[in-house]
Amino acid sequence: MKIIACYKWVLDEADLKVEAQSRRLLTGRAKSKISEYDRNALECGVQLIDESGGEVIALTAGTGGAKSSLKDALSRGPAEAVFVKDEIMAQSDPAVTAKVLAAAVRHIGEYDLILCGEGSSDEYSEQVGIRLAQLLGIPVVSFVNKVQVADGVLRAERKLDGGIEVVQVQLPAVVTVLPDMNTPRIPSLKQILAAAKKPVKELNLAGLGLDQAQLTAKVRRQTVLGTVMERKGIRFRGEAREVVQQVLTVLNKEGLC
Amino acid sequence: MSTEERFDAIVVGAGPAGSVAAYCLAKAGLEVLLVERGNAPGSKNMTGGRLYGHSLEKVIPGFWEEAPVERRIVNETITFLTGESAVSLDVKSKQFAQAPSFTVLRSEFDSWLAGKAEEAGAMLACGVRVDELLRQEGKVMGIRSDEDEMLADVVIAADGVNSILAQKADIRGELPAKHVATGVKEVIELPRQVIEDRFHLTEQTGAAQLFVGECTRGMQGGGFLYTNHESISLGLVITAEEFADAEERIVDLVEEFKMHPLIQPLIEGGQVVEYSAHLVPEGGLNMMPSLCHDGLLIVGDAAGLVLNTGYMVRGMDLAIASGEAAANAVIAAKAGGDFSKQGLSSYQTALENSFVLQDMKTYAKAPKFMENHRIFGNYPGLMEEMMVSLFSVNGNSAQPVRKSMLTSIKRHGGFMQLAKDAWKGMRAV
Ligand SMILES: Cc1cc2nc3c(=O)[nH]c(=O)nc-3n(C[C@H](O)[C@H](O)[C@H](O)COP(=O)(O)OP(=O)(O)OC[C@H]3O[C@@H](n4cnc5c(N)ncnc54)[C@H](O)[C@@H]3O)c2cc1C
Repeated sequence: MKIIACYKWVLDEADLKVEAQSRRLLTGRAKSKISEYDRNALECGVQLIDESGGEVIALTAGTGGAKSSLKDALSRGPAEAVFVKDEIMAQSDPAVTAKVLAAAVRHIGEYDLILCGEGSSDEYSEQVGIRLAQLLGIPVVSFVNKVQVADGVLRAERKLDGGIEVVQVQLPAVVTVLPDMNTPRIPSLKQILAAAKKPVKELNLAGLGLDQAQLTAKVRRQTVLGTVMERKGIRFRGEAREVVQQVLTVLNKEGLC
Repeated sequence: MSTEERFDAIVVGAGPAGSVAAYCLAKAGLEVLLVERGNAPGSKNMTGGRLYGHSLEKVIPGFWEEAPVERRIVNETITFLTGESAVSLDVKSKQFAQAPSFTVLRSEFDSWLAGKAEEAGAMLACGVRVDELLRQEGKVMGIRSDEDEMLADVVIAADGVNSILAQKADIRGELPAKHVATGVKEVIELPRQVIEDRFHLTEQTGAAQLFVGECTRGMQGGGFLYTNHESISLGLVITAEEFADAEERIVDLVEEFKMHPLIQPLIEGGQVVEYSAHLVPEGGLNMMPSLCHDGLLIVGDAAGLVLNTGYMVRGMDLAIASGEAAANAVIAAKAGGDFSKQGLSSYQTALENSFVLQDMKTYAKAPKFMENHRIFGNYPGLMEEMMVSLFSVNGNSAQPVRKSMLTSIKRHGGFMQLAKDAWKGMRAV
């Protein structure tokens, strides 16, 4: 089985700061990482291969900075990485990203399954996997929590709000996975060393036959501001018993108890 | 993957000591693996914040042009603190530029330095903790991390003050409290312009301030404050033993330090963005394990190569010089095909002939001298009293300076005691 696992190189949200007055995001000191749910997608692919053989190709589209992600991605088990590098990716929207990935998938050629995270940990638009399937003309299964493949047929559990739906789909297909599907591995020393020797294919838009003009993002981000939690700042004083009483009264008034 | 793979050298720990060792080895064409337990080099590391540039300058000339250093120190201050007063010695000199020092923040700086090693051809593996050394008949053969074993002709232990490698190899025991100090640091963010105004700096220049006295409640140690581009690093280093029977907790002392009338206006309006604690080896030569073994060299903090002179902590420049010296010894050992203790012994010789062990010897008496509580307890008060009487005009009839000073000295332990301490101090530092 040949699996393509897509991932995005995102800023680590733990490093983001919000400027107190303007609420502007300060990204200057932020490091990057492989988007959390995409790690689940990579892990899912590698586990399927461990069971039934074949190989996983890690695929990412990003700006030059995403080059640093390749070793990390490869140490998680894929046999090979494909990196579409272009600065327009800094401004892409889900439609553009899906177009670029679809072109890269066609370039790769044969495949049985494409895995994506349900959404990226920076924008979480939950569109790329679905748009990708649409562009490739293959089925898509979203919100997937569990997968099994046998004889070219994939059985997936979809975790929905009200319950669990089990579906079956003929491969090739796109599957978008949820975070509780698995626990991504922490690469070991040997896996990291092996990663450095695995092949990486670097592509550009021209090489994929893509034209800049088709790749203008239609959705443009105007601003990103941090949210501010408003605190009521109520202070209670007095004997423990009284304080408890006061707290209860306030909580009651807010409909919280 | 084949288990046959082996390296010329494995360096454990991508702090300044390890990254420089890996850089020098890779540059000489050796196959080097640099293993770091943090997800990125520097992510778990801390330092007060000042790098004396001389030893890295030797390895990477003009490094500060490309390295993410914060500010070049042009202003040095030593301050004696009492509860509400401060007596400072403030030095600005163009001569500092001849042997420049720089403030650094470890996560940026260490990543850059490990990146240099990688560029030179070293293999960097982050997020990997080395659990122990592989040994055969006493000779170190490689390392084990989780289930993975990796072989090498020589291992360089650059794993910091708590060196598990040295401990597990029975080269060194657990660190006794009297051989380590506890350091805590806050990074406080402030706009660049505010920092430059408050400390009278220009865009690239910085200030370093060291404090003795009330900030440690007279315990052996001191405080520091360094200016970065857009933040201030501030903290305390106190001998761990002092806390054994002290009521104070170091966290509380830091809070008090920040509230001191001298410090408070300097950090006013700032936001604490990082808080960290770390040990500092300070046993000097007394705690130093033997540094050369069959197939193993120990560098940097792991080797106890830190100078705590009471008014400054120096570790990074020694770490860097020891990393370079270890790399040179490994290169020589490879040429001679001998990785035994004997074959690697040029490391020890190189350290002895360099400032590293020479400075350690010069300051060898410092730890003992610092244990004297008068240094950190009485003398800051004495300084204050003398200076205040020098500058105060209060309408009382003035005393000759000589007389007022003598009165102060008597109150703080007497002249003989002061003279003795001064003498000891001169000999120790
Ligand atoms: C509060 C404080 C203030 C200081 N101020 C100054 C100063 O102003 N100037 C100065 O020059 N020095 C200062 N020092 C000392 C200086 O920080 C150290 O001497 C220096 O960092 C030592 O470098 P190193 O490379 O030997 O060790 P470290 O910087 O400690 O690096 C060790 C590395 O090894 C890694 N590691 C540890 N164990 C393992 C393992 N088992 N497997 C894999 N990796 C491992 C760690 O993650 C780390 O990256 C200060 C120290 C402190 C605590």
